[in-house]
Amino acid sequence: MWQWFFKLGSPKWFYELSGKWLPWLVAAMSLLLVIGITWALLFVPPDYQQGNTIRIMYIHVPFASISLAFFPLMAVAGTITLVWRMKLADMVAKTAAPLGAWFTALALISGSIWGSDIWGTWWIWDGRLTSMLLQFFLLVGVISLRSALEDTDAAAKACAVLSIVGCINVFVIKYSVDWWNTLHQPSSPIGMAGDSANGPEIWVPLVIMIVAVYLFFAVSLILSTRNEILQRERRSKWVQELLASA
Amino acid sequence: MLAALQFSSIGEFFQMGGYAFNVWTVYVLFLLFFFVNLYFPLIREKQIIRELKRRLIVRNEVPANKHD
Repeated sequence: MWQWFFKLGSPKWFYELSGKWLPWLVAAMSLLLVIGITWALLFVPPDYQQGNTIRIMYIHVPFASISLAFFPLMAVAGTITLVWRMKLADMVAKTAAPLGAWFTALALISGSIWGSDIWGTWWIWDGRLTSMLLQFFLLVGVISLRSALEDTDAAAKACAVLSIVGCINVFVIKYSVDWWNTLHQPSSPIGMAGDSANGPEIWVPLVIMIVAVYLFFAVSLILSTRNEILQRERRSKWVQELLASA
Repeated sequence: MLAALQFSSIGEFFQMGGYAFNVWTVYVLFLLFFFVNLYFPLIREKQIIRELKRRLIVRNEVPANKHD
């Protein structure tokens, strides 16, 4: 019963499978991005208060929401590393940290540019903004912790523990808009009818962009994980064979 | 579909109703990040394969030379 689980943990199996999946993922990502960006830039009606800055939402919201997935992902990978010592889990955790820092940074920067006009300020120590900045520093912390420890096993364990603890902050980010009602608005309700405040003409392109950016995240993670596999498994027979045929 | 277009001219599209700086900065940053984030891992993969192949050749040749 557990066989599939351990098979999933085999770097060789992941390398081969991801190689087969990559072209499809890239195709789906490109298609959705082209549709999503065209729709967001040309067809979404301007907001009655924010005008055309509403178009920033189609970048900001996907990046901000996916940033929240990094700590849970690293925590799950970290738990697998701690409990089953699966090599692949730690490789994923290692490549996820810098990617997460970039995604969080882009969410912060795009939000800041959006806010500079709509809120009239680039930055404010609001609950959502502060907890998001904390997540950025936590991710930088995970990256430095790994590079500071020379022993790969010790680094894997330490980063796993930090990732699990860092998950607390994800709840703080999620509920910050409800706990401290300062400036960042809570998530908006969406409606199916065309005449509701946030009708399909607003959220359908947003959903397309969120799926597209999720695919982008998956493709980026797979690409860097494959590199990590090649480096760490360079002495194994299958990599040697792969190199000989490459 | 064209009736749903929000801009009547290219110039109006670039001006974004006065928010050109905000909107275009965010989209340019996104596209920059998008391409860099896909380009670098691909370049790195080529580097790694080249480096590992070189090591493979070196290691395979050393014992062979010793036998001679």
